[in-house]
Amino acid sequence: MPAATKDPYLKRDHVAGHSDVDRATKERLISQVMADSRFGDYLYGCYECGICVAACPSARFYDFSPRRIAQAAARRDVDLMFQQMQEDIWECSQCFSCLRCPRGNNPGGVITIMREVAVKEGLHSAKDALAGYSRIIYKIMSTGTQVSPDMLQPDAFPDWGPEVKDVSENLDLWRRMLPPETMHTTTTGWQVADRTLVELYVIWLETGALDMIAQVDQGIHMILEEIMEEKLEEEGIEI
Amino acid sequence: MQERVVVVGGGPAGISAAIAAAELGAPVTVVEKNAYLGGRPIEENYASLTPYLESAEEVMGRLIDRLTAFDNVDILTSSQVIGKSGDSRPFELDVLTGSTATKLKAGSIIIATGFTHFDPGRETQLYGYYEFEDVVALQDLEAMLKEGKVVRPSNGETPQRVCFVQCVGSRDRQIGNEYCSKVCCGVASKEAIEVKLAIPNAEVFIFYIDMRMYGYWESQLYWPAQEQHHVQYVKGIITEVLPKAGKLLVRGEDTTMGRPMEVLMDMVVLSVGMEASPGTRKMAVLLGVEQNKYGFIEAAHSPLDTVSTSVNGVYAVGAALGPSDLEDCASTGGLAAAKAVRDLHALV
Repeated sequence: MPAATKDPYLKRDHVAGHSDVDRATKERLISQVMADSRFGDYLYGCYECGICVAACPSARFYDFSPRRIAQAAARRDVDLMFQQMQEDIWECSQCFSCLRCPRGNNPGGVITIMREVAVKEGLHSAKDALAGYSRIIYKIMSTGTQVSPDMLQPDAFPDWGPEVKDVSENLDLWRRMLPPETMHTTTTGWQVADRTLVELYVIWLETGALDMIAQVDQGIHMILEEIMEEKLEEEGIEI
Repeated sequence: MQERVVVVGGGPAGISAAIAAAELGAPVTVVEKNAYLGGRPIEENYASLTPYLESAEEVMGRLIDRLTAFDNVDILTSSQVIGKSGDSRPFELDVLTGSTATKLKAGSIIIATGFTHFDPGRETQLYGYYEFEDVVALQDLEAMLKEGKVVRPSNGETPQRVCFVQCVGSRDRQIGNEYCSKVCCGVASKEAIEVKLAIPNAEVFIFYIDMRMYGYWESQLYWPAQEQHHVQYVKGIITEVLPKAGKLLVRGEDTTMGRPMEVLMDMVVLSVGMEASPGTRKMAVLLGVEQNKYGFIEAAHSPLDTVSTSVNGVYAVGAALGPSDLEDCASTGGLAAAKAVRDLHALV
């Protein structure tokens, strides 16, 4: 089976805000998607019935269609798939309501694979999509926790009411009122043991998650590498 | 002269009817215009039959063997019914075999004269069947598959991109055939699978209005074609075929993607539908049975009696009644045989 159709029906190379890339690059990216071991279980054949779109919450708010994702992949349409990697896949909320497909397809799963390839390859769209998450990425990857009490600033959450101000002014005190000692923290969600951190850092390294970050945000990558290096060296592990 | 069940036509439906009548003990005569039995599948060199992809020659061969094994069956090949006298049972039929005329006393008659493939020269689109060598019809590709040689007729090369265009001559008010020909979706899918098996690197497309894969054809043909053989099903009908740089440019709309398409093909296969065969039209007139506006024989008491015609003692089976698959041929054949043999007994 050819990996890609040689002659797309309609050549629409340009996506607003993203420069086009050459055909060979597109084919390389898409063949990565289709070579993924999950791909065969995520896409059988498409009836084009639209039940996935009917079930999709994102489709109600964006010009987004899981059917088009499934169709483009089923047709091995490299140009359209590349265009979708630059736009559509970031409009999916990954809720997998599309799993109600009568053919057993998983358009959301195809999107998962496409996103992974987009991030690994440092696609412009992936950088854009993840830009708003740099603080969260930094926090999770460096501390293992996402939301920390010191993020609860009254300015940031005015809709939470006047008590946020009181809590944030006496944060340490409020935290120490919690029964579990491991939650007497303000800069992390809970106390993270050194051993846990080292294990997490090894996971980021071994799974390539750290390399993915290098593709989308070099600044954060440098900071993370520095933090991890120190901890890992103590354990005799070299980055 | 002994009264017999006379079956006109020796294809899948006619043979099925003749076997069933013979099994019920009736004397049977099969009148077949060709020099051989087997009907369309043999006459048009079908490679295999839908949906099991079994060799048409083998399947029909087994059926013919069963028929010829009966002592109470006469088979008149190269023969045609040319006249009838008597308005009610028993009928006297004039049969011409070569230049020899004989008479048959028919206690009942089963019309099994089948269909003919729609002539793509009559389609309202511009597919160029008679203009471009690489535009072929389903049965032309069958013959290639049977020979084991799927090549572009224009240059003998192996086609890398092949497309099927569905509903050619069917579901078309302009042509006058408003009906669905029932089997072409399955046959095209079967042939698409066979093309992929013969040429694994080929890209195969099926352009359709609706895919009508009723019953088990869904999982026997449609899903395997799509999932295992990666046949591309595109909802949208081709409006015209144009020559371009030694290939064929097909123009249509990819409707579910909402975009126009112009794609180059090495070979275009027209999924031609069924029309009443000249034999069916001729027999309807000769035996005085009512036809519908499409020339097929009208089943007078449908839906639960699929074979009785407007004339008592005359039945129609298979594609003489309208678009039919092989299962229809076998089941209408069996039902008509039961009724035809009953008529014979009623005369006694």
